[in-house]
Amino acid sequence: MTEVELLVPAKSIRRRGRRGVSPALRGERNVVRGAGVALLWLVVVISIAALVWMVAQAFRDTRSILDDPWGVPTSLDFGNFVRAWTVGDFAVATWNSLLTTVVSSVLTVAIAAPCSYYLSRVDNRLTRGLSLYFILGLGIPAQVILIPLFVMLNKVYLTDSIIGLNLVYIGVSMPFTVFLLTAFFRSLPLEMEEAAALDGTTAFGTFWRITLPLAKGGILTAFILQVISHWNETLLALTLLQSTEKYTLPVALISFVQQQTYSGADWGGLFAGLVIVVLPMLIIYVWLGRRLTEGLTLGMGK
Amino acid sequence: MSLSLKDHRVNRTADRGPESGKPLQHTSRRGSQRGGSSIDVQRKKLLVPFVGPAFVLYTVLFIVPALGAVWISLHKWAGSGPMKFVGLDNYGRIFRDQLFISSFGNTLLLLFVVGAAIFILAFALTLVLRDMAGKKIARNVIFFPHLINALVFGVLAGFIFNPGGMVNSLLAPLGVTDPPKWLAQDNIFPLIMVTLVCTTTGYFTTILMAGVDRIPPYYYEDCALAGATAFQRLRYVILPLTWDVFGTCAVLWTISSVKIFEIVWVFGGSSGAGVPPTQSWTAAVYTYVNAFSGQSTPAYGAATASAVLSLALISVLVVLLRRAMRRDAVEF
Repeated sequence: MTEVELLVPAKSIRRRGRRGVSPALRGERNVVRGAGVALLWLVVVISIAALVWMVAQAFRDTRSILDDPWGVPTSLDFGNFVRAWTVGDFAVATWNSLLTTVVSSVLTVAIAAPCSYYLSRVDNRLTRGLSLYFILGLGIPAQVILIPLFVMLNKVYLTDSIIGLNLVYIGVSMPFTVFLLTAFFRSLPLEMEEAAALDGTTAFGTFWRITLPLAKGGILTAFILQVISHWNETLLALTLLQSTEKYTLPVALISFVQQQTYSGADWGGLFAGLVIVVLPMLIIYVWLGRRLTEGLTLGMGK
Repeated sequence: MSLSLKDHRVNRTADRGPESGKPLQHTSRRGSQRGGSSIDVQRKKLLVPFVGPAFVLYTVLFIVPALGAVWISLHKWAGSGPMKFVGLDNYGRIFRDQLFISSFGNTLLLLFVVGAAIFILAFALTLVLRDMAGKKIARNVIFFPHLINALVFGVLAGFIFNPGGMVNSLLAPLGVTDPPKWLAQDNIFPLIMVTLVCTTTGYFTTILMAGVDRIPPYYYEDCALAGATAFQRLRYVILPLTWDVFGTCAVLWTISSVKIFEIVWVFGGSSGAGVPPTQSWTAAVYTYVNAFSGQSTPAYGAATASAVLSLALISVLVVLLRRAMRRDAVEF
């Protein structure tokens, strides 16, 4: 860059300053940047369009989808959903998924929160060791525990069982939830707890009546993150569940896809199934999006 | 991540140390070393009820199976009947198995090639997004695919790349009359790689942006005053200050890429027997098929050996990454 060019940003300070952002924060305007911005908006538009398109296809019958994949539904026809719901066993699967997701997420947070509180407030060799022990699990991929878990649960008749799946989800979610909540509890101010302690509240009372209400936001974030990961979990459910009436949504979707190899593609039903899998996530995201990205990025970034 | 937790704690103690106006706080934080106030003593008694349930569930349902995997990998076992101890034979066997080599190779491709593509794109996007108008909207949209089950992308790809599907109908007006057979067995894995780049970049962009957003604006102002070029600003301000976030992202990708299973399992609509073509297998698929596909006698030993090797890969890489990324975190 020559000296003349260097002067340009300095000159334009006042002009750009009107927009409220310091000129130093603005990038240079050049072709590469412009192209990048344009490309990014293109990606954004395509992403939204793809989502809308997927939902739209779910309201069309298979033949018109195949004839013209770019088309829009002519009427609001819930036939695909009805068929996926009844023939594809999505009704049972949705119920199973909902039950598993909610129960295991609530229990995960309920069990992890006291543990994280303890690990964040008591600082000695034992708790440091325990923190490390929990973090260890973050690095173990699911396929490692798949087979031993199947063998163990089989011995106690908990395979092909929603209860067994719930237990597994709770155990597997401990590392991340404890990690996230420990970091969160550490960030809370201690003054209120101390005041409560001075007033003679028991240690449990401080946790229950002071810290938990203060930590509502973090706990909600941890809960929602678990809801998302349990709703989408596939490999463990695929391994541990065998009978159709126990399937969760991802497993039902896989079996639906595999049936098509023999019975001919029912794209209408398939799109309806995809929408049933995706829509709850979209609703949660629109509702609590900021909290989610903050939880994921801060929890992991720190 | 363990290191960063510790850093966090040290920082806090250091922050609070000089505040002599709050001796109580200081005592309670360090209570364990000083005999402690009554609340600390009370609090310590909560160890079993507070930590106990989480510890037991996690140990029984996660750590014990993980150790069990190592144990099973040393045996020849079909899931029922007697286990025969064979030492490291399973590891020798899978390394002679062409199928395992190609599956593991695919996992490495995902880890390194897809990883590199994601990082370059995510960083580029971060730089573009940093001061773009409407950055929040764009960021929120590109993050969303992270919340969707990868199965969905696999199924959709099957539809989009169908011989009569959307991609070909787009190509036709451009004069492509003989489009490639997208979903041929050899082409599936490259397509999976492209799909993964598209669906994962947004997530890492969001994390990197959280790091870049933490940089206080006066650094950029200083750059402008000092006449730094865009490249110099990148090299001497943005990169050093986001280095730790890069490290975290690399660790995250290492762990999550080795797990990739769902998208491979259904990509393009499964072929026939419900098992994807072997050319697109990853180590996770190899493990699952060898143990549960029901096509042949389950080989639990070989399957877990493959999984244990994946774990070893993660451990080695995470240790290396930690070492490579180890430099004094810049405080700001």
